[in-house]
Amino acid sequence: MEERRKKIEFDALVIGAGIAGGETALNIANNGYKVLLVEKDHSIGGKMILLSKVFPTLDCAACITTPKVSEIARHPNITVFTESEVTSIVKKTESLFIAKITKNPRYVHVEDCTACQLCEKACPVSVRDEYQFGLVGRKAAYIPFSIANPKAAVIDLEQCTLCGACERVCPTHCIDFTMETEYFELQVKTVVLATGFQLFDPLKIPRFGYGKYKNVVTSMQMEREIAPTRPYHTILRPSDGKIPDQIAYVLCTGSRDDSVGNPVCSQVCCMYSMKQAQLLMGALPMADITIYYIDIRSFGKGFEEFYQQAKDMGVNFVKGKIGKISEKENGNLILRYEDIQEGILKEAEHDMVVLSVGMLSNQSVHQIFDGEMLQFDSLNFIWQSDLLGSPAKTNIDGVFVAGTASGPMDIPDSILSAGSASSEAISYLIQH
Amino acid sequence: MTSFVKKNAKILVFSTEKISDPAIDMAGLLKLHYPPTVYTITVPCSSGIKPNWILHAFEKGFDGVFIAADGTDCVFGESCTEKTGKVVEMTHEKMKQNNLDPARLRMAALCSVCSDAFVRQVRSLNEYLIKTRYSEK
Amino acid sequence: MKKNLGVYICHCGGNISDYVDVEKVRQAIEHEEGVVLAKTTMFACSDSNQKEMVEDIHQYQLDGVIVASCSPKLHLVTFRNVTETAGLNKYTYVHANIREQASWAHSDDKEGATEKAIRLVRAAISKSRYAEALYPNKFEAEKAIAVIGAGMAGMKAALSIAEKNMSVVLIEKENTVGGHVAEWGSLFMTNEKGSELVQRIHNDLLKHENISILTGTEVVSSKGSIGNFTLTLQKKHQPVDNLRETMEINVGSVVVATGFDHYIPQRGEFSYLNNENVISLPDFKKLTDQSSGKTLLYNGKEIHDIAYIYCVGSRQSEGENKYCSRFCCTSTIHTAIETKKKFKGIRNFHLHRGIRTYGKQELLYDEALQNGDIFIQFHDDFPPEVSFNGKKTSLKVKDLLSSDKELVLDTDLVVLVTGMLPRMDQSIGQLFKLPKGRDKFYNEIHMKLRPVETVIDGITLAGTCQGPKNISESVNSALSAATKAFSSISKGLVETEPIVAEINGNSCVWCGECLKACPFEAIEQKEIDGKIIAVINKSVCKGCGMCAPVCVPNAIDLIGYSDKEIFSMIDALVQ
Repeated sequence: MEERRKKIEFDALVIGAGIAGGETALNIANNGYKVLLVEKDHSIGGKMILLSKVFPTLDCAACITTPKVSEIARHPNITVFTESEVTSIVKKTESLFIAKITKNPRYVHVEDCTACQLCEKACPVSVRDEYQFGLVGRKAAYIPFSIANPKAAVIDLEQCTLCGACERVCPTHCIDFTMETEYFELQVKTVVLATGFQLFDPLKIPRFGYGKYKNVVTSMQMEREIAPTRPYHTILRPSDGKIPDQIAYVLCTGSRDDSVGNPVCSQVCCMYSMKQAQLLMGALPMADITIYYIDIRSFGKGFEEFYQQAKDMGVNFVKGKIGKISEKENGNLILRYEDIQEGILKEAEHDMVVLSVGMLSNQSVHQIFDGEMLQFDSLNFIWQSDLLGSPAKTNIDGVFVAGTASGPMDIPDSILSAGSASSEAISYLIQH
Repeated sequence: MTSFVKKNAKILVFSTEKISDPAIDMAGLLKLHYPPTVYTITVPCSSGIKPNWILHAFEKGFDGVFIAADGTDCVFGESCTEKTGKVVEMTHEKMKQNNLDPARLRMAALCSVCSDAFVRQVRSLNEYLIKTRYSEK
Repeated sequence: MKKNLGVYICHCGGNISDYVDVEKVRQAIEHEEGVVLAKTTMFACSDSNQKEMVEDIHQYQLDGVIVASCSPKLHLVTFRNVTETAGLNKYTYVHANIREQASWAHSDDKEGATEKAIRLVRAAISKSRYAEALYPNKFEAEKAIAVIGAGMAGMKAALSIAEKNMSVVLIEKENTVGGHVAEWGSLFMTNEKGSELVQRIHNDLLKHENISILTGTEVVSSKGSIGNFTLTLQKKHQPVDNLRETMEINVGSVVVATGFDHYIPQRGEFSYLNNENVISLPDFKKLTDQSSGKTLLYNGKEIHDIAYIYCVGSRQSEGENKYCSRFCCTSTIHTAIETKKKFKGIRNFHLHRGIRTYGKQELLYDEALQNGDIFIQFHDDFPPEVSFNGKKTSLKVKDLLSSDKELVLDTDLVVLVTGMLPRMDQSIGQLFKLPKGRDKFYNEIHMKLRPVETVIDGITLAGTCQGPKNISESVNSALSAATKAFSSISKGLVETEPIVAEINGNSCVWCGECLKACPFEAIEQKEIDGKIIAVINKSVCKGCGMCAPVCVPNAIDLIGYSDKEIFSMIDALVQ
């Protein structure tokens, strides 16, 4: 039995508040239209806000994302729903889409929360912190991360023991366990899908030892170790807290790999790996960094110069695919590979290994269209119906796609793709 | 014998908002190091720099002044190069009148990505100033 | 003089605080005259700090704010807006760059970097004491946009603007639209023909009445600035006649979409021009697109074995073009696949420096491998040698993938994979004074924050004139640029910075030097209270300051750059 739905109306619906969704919402809103920006997570800013620095300029990601996030949150024409999901979209006419939205309870009244963190200190439950990709823990009553927006606490009800400690210490009494799921029925004239990507899970490649060997981490975990809002004050390896000095990067983990069902290139991993390598060389001047690659794809503006810079800094580039990783008693890892330049099999010892995982499609919009169905390509990304003439168009008129929801791309490309999608959406609003 | 540590010269740079200042920013971005006694004041166009500013700088203790000019990239038009040249000429006149070594004022056109050129200019001016300052003693 | 200044010193998440001791800076300036509040913050630009600034302005009744953080190019506008939100005039805000110009530039000398940061903040505080409330100039904007260049980027930009019900003039110097794409056959990744793609976009353009397409036309001069550009256009090919027909158009903003040129190999580069069997990629594509029949023929000869040498004119270690041209690996492999499909007996040999079929384009690389194409990687420093043995064109190359084994290939045709160059014809860039990047393509202000804008207000960049891209990427950039150009004038009103020159009537002796110096005719001679003096026309003045140094009695100051402000900054820096 369906709950009673609150009826709301906007000009445009943007699903996903990462950099592409955010940029799209800003562009549409700046032209006078009312935008509803729906984000399933507890903060806007997507993956970009969690990064350390961005290539090829090494600007700090937070420095670029936080003001955008701030602009979105303050914009008079943008309404943001966090912890919300669009459960269905139906196209009724050329200028009317009906969407059903479920807003999950946060159990905190955001407008009253001052992010004082007293609830965090009082909470007795510790769980894996997904914003730090498992590097450290967080409490069940927590602020997602220091630059989150909205900067307010969340109660993770699944882990919560309902002890009430948080409620008792909260100075503004904004914790409310009686908050309920809200249901909305939305009328909009156009929809932009900016639902982003999903990182490849290296558990699917057992021979790399991820999940078994503690010192094999993913690039996103290393990104968090380097980021300014990082969990430790230095770079540590998980097994014993030692500061590593022989770090290896394994490129194309889960990309260009038919055996795991992803034959395409993820476009960003070469660049982000050499970016991390440069940052690590800055943070750990004695460290040796080796990048094991198939091909280095440094194709964009300033990328080739960035690659040269990494080589000049002393990062080692070895052409060869890693066949197998095994562990020594002291936690060090042995990488077995064919050195293509020398044509022989080799084994190299490293004290920490970073798997450069690729970008896959995330399946968030696959089930939500009713009536006229949205189409996907062979890799499950949203299909671009006119790739060369109008890359933001999908097979449904009035529904556009921005960012990595259509395929792997880096931040500058995502921003231009958002510019393209918002342009199409604005034209669509004017014409209908 | 105590070793003689040469102190860096104090250099004032006038940069332009849209052209040469981005080049100076880029020098920082690329970690091209230059002496930390080089300070920048940013103006809209190098042809608007007044000679009395430069003289004031020398009077107050700056060893050198470098004008990072717009050159032909100037957004305000072609006459910028000539006019910036005139500013330097006028200032040199006044410097000679006040017995100041005219080589303490330099000017060069810097494009918005000319970070290497910027660093070379200020390092070279710094060396000249150190040499002449210590040889004067 | 200001009484209550607030100073915020940013850690920038370590970018600044790793080298500059921000707490030391704070302590050094907290007792400067006028400073009532001095704080350090992790990210000055973050939402929470921005909120705190607004609260502080109210709580401490600040009438001036200084933030010492990254380059003003990133967040000057952000912080100005914060002060405005709190009820202050945004031009009282002063910014100090202690990241790019202190912590990063002097990361080798932490003490020196900290000392410099202290002085830069002191200088900003000095300036702030003089900062006055200013009000931007508002004037009506022409609701029309000019798009220069009618390739894919230009056409899509024009279409995007027309769809938003604004007038657009699409100017193309050639006699037809479509740029390079119109000449191409099958395109990756959809195999649609270039000529057909251009045709359908052109048809879309023709449906809109508010688009004027002017072919065979060049822009010869430009006057004005954002909101009011006057462009003089001239027909490219004139009949022999003294009177060159020109027309003038008035637009509010301009989109530059002038495209790229193909790299042309030099004579002798891989035997180009010395051996008739060595051709460039664009010429090869034309050959295969236009040839029919079962066998590929070139100069009467049957072509079966084709070698492709990659990165010709790109990624040069010695030459000028250090960048990667981005599209060519994919284009070459796609062309090789199409050629094999179309003609009999084709064998493809790819001699490359690492295949860059990024993203979903990787599927083409897979397909070529499945087709039996041979891929040979050579060292950057040891390119293949091309020679002619009387019958066949022979290539000698060291194959990295088989430990530098030297291979000799006899081929019928050698294709040099040439990349993209910025246009030889730089007239538009020179006209508008568009700055160029290190790769000599036109430069955007900031790749992530302002990817299609240039330092010239009102001029945006679309397509490959900003850097190598494929068609989808060009279209994305074109739509972004068009939307930016549209948004900047769509309300019909434009605001410009209130930085103009001011003349002190009392000191002016009317010598006329300033009028001579001004390139914009913004100075007039007027009689005021019986005295003839010079007066600035504020709506025309561009704020360059060229009039200031030539004034004999020193009666001219540029707002925000007055003698007293500059002197106080100099004093603060050198004390």
